[in-house]
Amino acid sequence: MTPIPRLPATGRRTALLGTLGGVAGFGLARPALAQSGQPIRIGMSMPLQVQLGRDARAALGFAVEEVNARGGLLGRKVEVAFADETDNTEAGVNGVRKLLNDDKVDALVGHYTSGTFLAAMPHIARAKRVTVIVGASSPAIADRVKQDYARYKYIFRTTMNASNQSADVLDFVSGMLVGELGLKRIGIVAENARWAQDIATLLVEGAAKVGAQVTVNETVDNSTTDFSPILSRVRSSGAQFMMTLLAHSKGDLLTKQWHDTRVPVLWGGIDGRAMDADYFNLVDGKCLSMIAANFAVRAPITPRTIPFFDSFKERTGHFPSYTAWTSANGFHVYAQAVERAKTLDADAVVAEMERTNYEGVEGRIEFDDRHDARSGPGLLNYVFAQWQPNGERVVLWPKAIRSGAMIVPPWLSDARTPG
Amino acid sequence: MEVIVLGAVTSSVYALLAVGFTLIFGVARIINLAHGAFYAVAGYAAYILINLGGWPVLPAMLAAVLITALFGVAVDRVFVRPLRHSHMAVLMITLAISMAVEQGLTVAFLGEARSLPPLIDGKVSVLGVDVAAQRLLTLLVSVVLIGALWLFIQRSRLGAAILAISQDPEAAEYVGIPAERIFALVMGLSAALAASASVLASPFLSVQPSMGLLPMVKAFCIVIIGGLGSIPGSILAACLLGFTETFVAFHISSTWSEVISVAAVFAMLALRPAGLLGKREAF
Amino acid sequence: MRSIDFGGACLAVAALAALPLLNPGEYLLGVLTLGLIYGIWAAGWDFMSGLTGRANFGYGLFIGLGAYFGGFANTLWRTDPWMGLPIGVGVGVIAALLVGLPTLRLRGPYFALAMLAASVVMERLVLILWRYTGGDEGLNDLDPLVESHVAFYYVALAFLVGSAAILLRLSHSRLGLVLRAIRGDEAACQAAGLDVTFYKIGSLMISAAFGGLGGVLYAHFQLQVSPQLFSMQMAMAIITMAYVGGLGSIYGPVVAAIVLTLATELLRPFGAWRLLVYSILLIIALFLARDGLVAPAWQALRRALSRGRDAAPEPLRQARSPGTSA
Repeated sequence: MTPIPRLPATGRRTALLGTLGGVAGFGLARPALAQSGQPIRIGMSMPLQVQLGRDARAALGFAVEEVNARGGLLGRKVEVAFADETDNTEAGVNGVRKLLNDDKVDALVGHYTSGTFLAAMPHIARAKRVTVIVGASSPAIADRVKQDYARYKYIFRTTMNASNQSADVLDFVSGMLVGELGLKRIGIVAENARWAQDIATLLVEGAAKVGAQVTVNETVDNSTTDFSPILSRVRSSGAQFMMTLLAHSKGDLLTKQWHDTRVPVLWGGIDGRAMDADYFNLVDGKCLSMIAANFAVRAPITPRTIPFFDSFKERTGHFPSYTAWTSANGFHVYAQAVERAKTLDADAVVAEMERTNYEGVEGRIEFDDRHDARSGPGLLNYVFAQWQPNGERVVLWPKAIRSGAMIVPPWLSDARTPG
Repeated sequence: MEVIVLGAVTSSVYALLAVGFTLIFGVARIINLAHGAFYAVAGYAAYILINLGGWPVLPAMLAAVLITALFGVAVDRVFVRPLRHSHMAVLMITLAISMAVEQGLTVAFLGEARSLPPLIDGKVSVLGVDVAAQRLLTLLVSVVLIGALWLFIQRSRLGAAILAISQDPEAAEYVGIPAERIFALVMGLSAALAASASVLASPFLSVQPSMGLLPMVKAFCIVIIGGLGSIPGSILAACLLGFTETFVAFHISSTWSEVISVAAVFAMLALRPAGLLGKREAF
Repeated sequence: MRSIDFGGACLAVAALAALPLLNPGEYLLGVLTLGLIYGIWAAGWDFMSGLTGRANFGYGLFIGLGAYFGGFANTLWRTDPWMGLPIGVGVGVIAALLVGLPTLRLRGPYFALAMLAASVVMERLVLILWRYTGGDEGLNDLDPLVESHVAFYYVALAFLVGSAAILLRLSHSRLGLVLRAIRGDEAACQAAGLDVTFYKIGSLMISAAFGGLGGVLYAHFQLQVSPQLFSMQMAMAIITMAYVGGLGSIYGPVVAAIVLTLATELLRPFGAWRLLVYSILLIIALFLARDGLVAPAWQALRRALSRGRDAAPEPLRQARSPGTSA
């Protein structure tokens, strides 16, 4: 087994002045301890103020328990060190540095805010620890892995890359909207951010090819609270379906204002908040009939999906946020790579990670050359599920796993009511 | 048409916030940076009463306004009064309170946005524009509240005392008007106005710990444009800003509306330092 | 400068300089480095606001602008990170002039309000113009000023010592006296023929220069520039440091910045409570310790010391109750 000789730049000083500081010897002693069955440490940095962060922590805990119950990893126990990412970049980066330098974790699983992760990337690259991102979805992360592979190859992501998502959205438009419902006039409402604008551009081009037409392409700001002007323009453009592309914007306000003014346009799309299991309650049920893109819902997507949802609910009392299964997947992917590599050496584990073929909760996980999970048939896909009465989520697309009939908003008589 | 109807709703919320802000300045000569905190406290109070206490919507909202008014009085008594001699200290303490409230709410309720139910659901068509009923109600209630405040100040004995203090605090004390009590009362009133704006607007916006910051900054801008301490000035400026923002959002882009309001403030400071209807150039 | 003050300062600097020898680890050293940069900011804020009594709620404006322009220079044109330092200073000074001209002519609270509004809008603008500024994700891939963390710590320490020395010097010069006089009675200063506006804008420009300088240092330490630099929370943290340190003393805020930065990281187990702790500290400082904690503590200590030695000349007392103004 290869020890882990990743002493930071200060390490040499450590050797010289080892006796000065109380903790000084730790960095040097570590490789020796590693061979004698010391626990393997996984660091997680997630924001605890939001459900997504708390669910990720819970799910990682369950996954680690599971592996420990099976005898651990390489015969060693696995431990979790946690740092609150908070909503503040400086504190988030400090947390990652604490995990890397103080807690001396062997790998990182977590990271929700793209800005914070991008800021932490140089530190991770310096420390050379395998890192699995479970939330941060900025394309800029994968771009850097590709551009500077030698430095950033330790970084992987188990969620769909934002720029891969347009294919799924287009598939929904052509198959469901145009193909089944005959809705050809689409209004786009996209967030003022790169990933959303990228998808919007691809959607405008792609729509023409599948016989649909984009009637209006609106941009909203993260701080927008009054969506009336946007809803009004979507409506007057004659759109039959409003496609939203939102992550950090206030989609919950859009939901309420769409419902309160009874906008006569069907609605669906990507909305970071509408993925949450408790979204229906959060907006007082006003998302009724909204068709939300999800990374997974409780449906037979893979053999693991339903058991995961049910056991999570049994243990926590609620259905998981998406970061729960991306965290569980992320840890398992890492654990299997370690077992194949039979070592914790980061470079060896990275090589094995690149060969990952893991049946996750929301699909099979394989990594592309940018270390993003691939999407496509059998891999990761968006599941379009409609919010129906009592907060039930009914899968509409892909058709193969459709779980019920579509409904329309109570103020519309049928889906093709002109806008 | 849409600009007129929706602009009126926006203006009325701004006016409620700005009038309270300028009132406390005009009377007690303090800039209350906790004004946004009042807005947030009211939202959460209503949320707690409705979702955890199981109260019906209307009583819960009235109670929330009352609770916030009491909170306002408490802030004045406990924190502001001992520091009243120094403007900077008052600015600091109220800023600290607003941060403490925001962080306290984050700790207690976590960061996620919550929702308040509307008093009336459904939509109404006015002048051919579809408006959520709650928004229309907001407009009506705001107009009534501001009207009532006007009457209260102009017609009642207490109102006369308030006016007297705002015009000449020393002379008012000589004739036996208890200044400290009036200050606390005005702070309570101001908080109640912010609270009303909050419970009226939160159903179509949302309740979250940082919800008070932007409204407070807006209130600043309006009050500066209108002239610190001038109630009619604030109302005028609120309408100006409300309609401009709505117009920009409808005809240009909703992303720029906030930047425009602050640009207006700087232009106003440069051109007419006392504001539209302000009497004095600050103090 | 009196010898006790000088001795105390030397001792403090020597202690800080010796810290890395104890091998605190890269994480703790990083936090300390941040503390040193916050020290530059706290001293810079204190120079204008502490001396003249004009609270500046938008100090993040100067920090953020310095950091962004330094960051642009480094990421777009790949200029040397060291080149960013003069850029940051220049940008801060220009921004101070632009904001100060319309607002500092006015008396009263306009300045405080306008600075707050300006920083809130700048944060918005950075988010709106994400194509150029990176929006939420900020500017990334900055080059480090120096590669090694230990070296960076010493660089930051050197800049802090230099900044504090300059600011202390200035605050005891004629300029400092005028600024203190403005806090006491602006009208009297005007009557005495002083161009009060000139002095106020000048002090804001000096204050902003250090904001910009610290911003660029921060950017090349964190290797990222985030729109959060413009935020109220940022300004709030610095204001708290200045208050806890003791307004108008320059050295007090510096010490408070280092201690509080370290303390908030050590409070990490409390998670979301960190900022709550800050605001409560500020409330306490406002009520119980009007002159802050650090500066009065040092004054008491030096009195005790000089009583031991032969009576040193009575030190120039820090003007009391810094809040009174306007």
